[in-house]
Formats: sequence, C-alpha cells, structure tokens
Amino acid sequence: MLPGYPYSILNSLQYFLFYLLFSVPLTLSYRTSKVLNFSHSNFIAYGMYTAIFLHGLAGNQSFLVAAIAAFLAGGSIALLNHLAVFRPLEQRRASPAFVMIASMGLWIMYNYLLYMLADVAHAFTMKNFISYGRIDYADIPDLRILDFTVDHSLLASLASATAFGTALYLLLMKTSLGRAMRAVADNPALAEISGIPREKVLRFTWFLCGGAAAVGGVLWTSFSGTITPASADAMILQVFAVSFIGGLVSLSRTILGALAISLAENVGIAALNTFFGIPTSFRPFITFVTLLTVLIVSPPLGAAGGLPYRFRRKVGGGR
Amino acid sequence: MSEESKGKAAPAGKKLSISALVPLLAVFIVGLLIGFALAGVFGAQQAAQAVAPQEKRTISIGFTLPLSGELSSIGKVWEKVVYLAIEDLNAEVQAYGFNVEFKPVILDDATSAEGALRNVQTFAQQGIKVIIGPAASSQVKAVKSFVDSNEIVLISPSSTAPTLAIPGDFVFRTVGSDAGQAKVLAVLAFQEGARKVVVFHRNDEYGNAFADFFEKYFKELGGAAVKMPYQTGLSDYAAEVASLASRVQAEKVDAVVLISFDTDGGNILSHAAKSPVLSAVRWFISEGPHGAAELKAPAVGEFAAKVKLLGTRPLFIGNPLYEDFKARLKSKYGVDATVFCDTLYDAVKLAGWAIIRAGSSDGRAIRAALVEIAKTYYGPSGWTIFDESGDKANQDYGVWAIVRTAAGYDFKDVGVYERGSIVFLEKPYP
Repeated sequence: MLPGYPYSILNSLQYFLFYLLFSVPLTLSYRTSKVLNFSHSNFIAYGMYTAIFLHGLAGNQSFLVAAIAAFLAGGSIALLNHLAVFRPLEQRRASPAFVMIASMGLWIMYNYLLYMLADVAHAFTMKNFISYGRIDYADIPDLRILDFTVDHSLLASLASATAFGTALYLLLMKTSLGRAMRAVADNPALAEISGIPREKVLRFTWFLCGGAAAVGGVLWTSFSGTITPASADAMILQVFAVSFIGGLVSLSRTILGALAISLAENVGIAALNTFFGIPTSFRPFITFVTLLTVLIVSPPLGAAGGLPYRFRRKVGGGR
Repeated sequence: MSEESKGKAAPAGKKLSISALVPLLAVFIVGLLIGFALAGVFGAQQAAQAVAPQEKRTISIGFTLPLSGELSSIGKVWEKVVYLAIEDLNAEVQAYGFNVEFKPVILDDATSAEGALRNVQTFAQQGIKVIIGPAASSQVKAVKSFVDSNEIVLISPSSTAPTLAIPGDFVFRTVGSDAGQAKVLAVLAFQEGARKVVVFHRNDEYGNAFADFFEKYFKELGGAAVKMPYQTGLSDYAAEVASLASRVQAEKVDAVVLISFDTDGGNILSHAAKSPVLSAVRWFISEGPHGAAELKAPAVGEFAAKVKLLGTRPLFIGNPLYEDFKARLKSKYGVDATVFCDTLYDAVKLAGWAIIRAGSSDGRAIRAALVEIAKTYYGPSGWTIFDESGDKANQDYGVWAIVRTAAGYDFKDVGVYERGSIVFLEKPYP
C-alpha cells in the first residue's frame, strides 16, 4: 500500500487540480503575451479574498457566486495590468526582463493593497481577515459513494477543472477567437500581418487567465485551513515549476507537470518519510530540485536558449 | 569782557543750573519709578516663565510586530494591546508628574527574520533605544547581534526558545523560556495517559528547541517521543498532515503533540479534523495557536472535543490584573486577549518606566533601569522580575481547551500547573 494512503493520493489529486487551474492560465498568458508574469499570484490571492470578503462581510455561502465574482475581479486585474503596464512597456520596446521586473513590482503592490483592504475590513467588522479559516460553501456538498466520502472541495475542484479544461479546449480548437489566440502565440508578427487583431486577442487572453486563476483561488478557500494574503505567494514557485515543465508553451505538458509535481509533493514525500525517514520538511526541496532540473535539461521558451517544442523536434532530427 | 560783567555773569549761571536740575531730577525720579515698574513687570514675567510647565517630551518606543505572516492572527490583536498599554502608560507617568508622552512606532515584520532585522535597523536610525518584539524566537535570534552591538534594549513578549537565554545581552523576554513549558506539556500529556507520542513540530528555532526539551522531560516521566519536524512558511500543510497520519499508524502512538504557531497550527488541525486516524488519538498543543480564529471553526471545535485537545500556555490564572486587562481590551477594542497579550502589555509598561528611571537615552542605563523596575513591577502577566538571562524568572503555566459556548467554539483556560502536576479547574470535555 502506498505510504500515507488514502490521504496522499487524495491530496495528490487535489493539488493536481489546483496546479492545473493555477498553471494553465500562466502558460496560456505567457505563450500569448510573452510576459513572464509574477503578478500571477495576485490573481489567485484576489480570487481567495473575493470569496473571503463576500463570506466575511456579506455572509455569502455560495461557491458559484464567489466564483463568478472572483472571475470578474481576477480578470479585471489582469486586464488592467495589461492596459496600464505591459502594453505601454511593449510600445516602448522594453526588454522581456524589464517587463518581468515590472510584473514583480505589480506583485508587491497588489500584495500590500490586499493587506490594506484586509485591514479596512478588519476595522469595520473586527473579524480577522489577515488569517481566515476554511469556508464551507452551502452549494457544494460532500459526495458519499458507498463507504467513501469525496470531500466537497475535491468535488468542486474536479467540476471546475473539467469545466475549465473543456471550455479552453473548445475555445482554442473550435472557435475563430481560439485560432487567433494560437496564431498570436505562435507568431505574433505574422498573426498581425494576417489581419488578426492582436491587441483584442491579448485583452481577452489576460481577462480569461486572470479570471481562471482567481476561480482557483476560490477553490483554495474551500480546501485550505488558513488563508492569508501570502497564501498564493507561498505556492507561486510551484506554479511556475509546473508551467516550466510545460516549457511555458505546451498546455498538455503543463498538465503533465501539474501531475508530476503534485505526486512528488504528496506521495513522494510520504514514501521518502516512511521508507527512508526523510523529514516531511524536505517537501519544498523536491519541488525545487524538479524545477532546477527542468530549467537545465529543458529550458522554457525564451529562457537560456529554450525553444518551442515544435522547433526542438526539427532540431533533434524529427524525434 | 569786564570783570564786573564776569562777576555778574557767574551768579546768573548758578541760578540757571539749579533751575535746570529740578526738572532733570524730576525726570530721573519718574524714570526711576518707570524703570522699577517695568523691571517689576518683566521680572514677574521671567519668574512666571521659570515656573511655567516645559514642553511635553515625546519618547518613541519601537514595535516590530507580526501583522502579517505566520503569526498575523495574534499580531492583529497585539496591535490593539500596544495602543491600550501606551495609553495606560502615558496616563500613569503623567499622574506621577512626569511631563512625558510615549509614542508607539509600529512596523510589520511579516513574522520573518529579515523583516524584523530591517525594522530594528530602521528604529536604530531613528535613534530609538527600546524596541518591543519581535514575536518569534527565530526573529529574536536574527536581530540579537545587532541590538547587542548597538546597545538597544529589546524586549520580546513571546520568544520562548531556551537557546536564547543568554546572560549579559540586551535581549529581555517577559515570558519564561520553553524549557519550563515543555516540562508542563510533558506532564500534561503523561498525566492524561499518553505514553508514546509523535511530536509534530515547526522546523525552526522555537519548534526544534521545544521538541528537544519535551522529549527530554517526557522520557524522564517514562514516555517515548518520536520527533517529526515540518517545514514552515508553506501555503498549506495537507501533505504534512497525511505523512503525520501515516507515522501515527506506523509508530502506533497514542497522542500527537503539536508545536506550532497560529496559521500553521490552524491549518494542520483543520486537515487533521478530516482524518479518521488522527481523530482517534489524543492531541496536546503548545501555546502557539492559542487565540487563532481558525481554531474556533466548527470543524476544528468538533475535532477538539473528539480528541480531547488540551494545550499549555504561559499564564497566571486568578490574577485580578489579568482579568481587568482582558475586560478592558474587550470593551475598548472588541478583541479577546490571546496568548502573550499580557506579557506584551507588561513589556510596554516596563519599557516606559525603565526609560524614565534611566533619565537618558543610553542603552546601558536603560538596561540597568529595566532590571530594577522589573523587580518591583506586577502586571497582568504577574511578577515580572527577570532571571540572570533576562527572561521572566517566575513563569506560571495554564492549560487551555477549545470548548463549545453559546456563541460557538472558543478558547478556555481550564487548568493550572502546580508543584509538578496539572490541576484542572473544570472538566473541559464530557
């Protein structure tokens, strides 16, 4: 039997779904805009806090309401970042490193803004918004199958990830907007010459990515025991690790990355702890060894000579 | 000119000079009178200036608090305690006739060692010689060499790692070291029937030292302890809790001893509440998560009742000053007194009076005054006298539980440690 069974398996599945919802939007936004966006963690954090403020200030018990509000909030922030910061920088021909540093500035700014909002909410209600407990939503019940209970958080994550995955697949493969998104991702200059409105595509992509990550944040509030404004920051490097496995380009490889990291972090550490006595405090170590290995062996597009996978195949003799 | 004319002219000149002298004399006398009058007025003003109250002297005390990060849950409460303590301190010193006003300068250190060091350096640049905080032992360790070399008095209300009990430095702690609390927690667990436990602890200065001392005392009592550290600062601890459940099953222990802060403790307990394995053993907890709102959640409250969760914390139960402090904090700021609120309050009072007694901004003078003031000060946390290491010399410990009240689940002090055993004041769980 696997160490830590069944919790390690269930946690793996739960984390796989979280990483999917957090990393796929990161990959999608990078491959379309070429911005390595550290402010991505803000989308998740603002998603969490949209749910928390709705729960703590307005007494909202509905996951659906929280998810819709978070999608709009996260999407709006992403769009605002693009219009106010990334686009003007691009127009001034700023280097990718410069834009990345700007995204770090946004990341820190939004963090402090969130602390301020939590403080204001605290002043009005005397509730502690800086550290908030798990939210039990009324519209996502636990599912009981025979003797086994599927936690409501896992159920909601499964439903959300499936809905997001299906919608994304249909969007990218079956709609003209999706085809335009893929074209912009592959070759922005060619796409523009072909008459694809790149700016429109970028705006839509940012809104979609910010919104999807924020819905992931709402799911997190139904799973984690404590949510703080720093919760998303504490996992952003894992999210980047997952996206790097996908080369920051391939959505299918990002999904594989999510699976690999979630298994390593849950089943892997439980096995190391049980069989070799390695302390569980080594869990982040496993993630970052994976991240470094991926960066060296298979660097993502635009970093350390990383190439899109389709070019690698050609370079490697059609493997 | 003839001699006659000379002779006539002379008496005429004498007449003129006498007649001219009279008004001159009158002017002189009047001038003298005016002069005296004016002198009297200005003299009176000068005298009035001499006795008029001097401008109020403002003295800043630095606070590096965990307003965000892993201790943010109690950090927000501490901020209110600081305001209450400063207000009380100002009223007290002014009642004694000191024309002094203390001003708190509060900075957030995000419960990080780097944040605490940055704050302490900022205070040093501002010329502040007394700093209260930081909260965690790892943070105190990070700022220790800076405050020692710059002769800044640092008073932590909550750092408890025994490794920081160092005589002759500038670090003071208004709470006893965990060498004492680890013994109380070991006695509590053993007295409640635990014989083999997993000590699930933070992998930091506080957690490692506490776990070592717990293991030592628990073994002395005849028990066995398996230490299991976990990494701090994670966004979630579900994987760690799964590994804990696995270890509990593998080692066949009868209790878990959790050494944590508040956000990690709340997180761990909320995941443990979902585990049948972890719900089947007893749980004993250090003072860290006491007061965290996450522990009042129904799921954790039900879990606490199921596993008969008990914790220890530095507390002098039955102190009327503590009860008064608790009631005033609640009525004025609407918050409940959590762990270390009393020691923080007393730290502020001690700092203020030490500055006044020292009469200068010299760090050594303030340090010497602080030791003397603490010998005779008695506050909500009890008698504050320091031992030779600058830690609270006489620390009492209470036992807390999470009980169901009319307004939901809440913390309750249910017992005390007395002469080597736990005395329960009430039965917390049916």
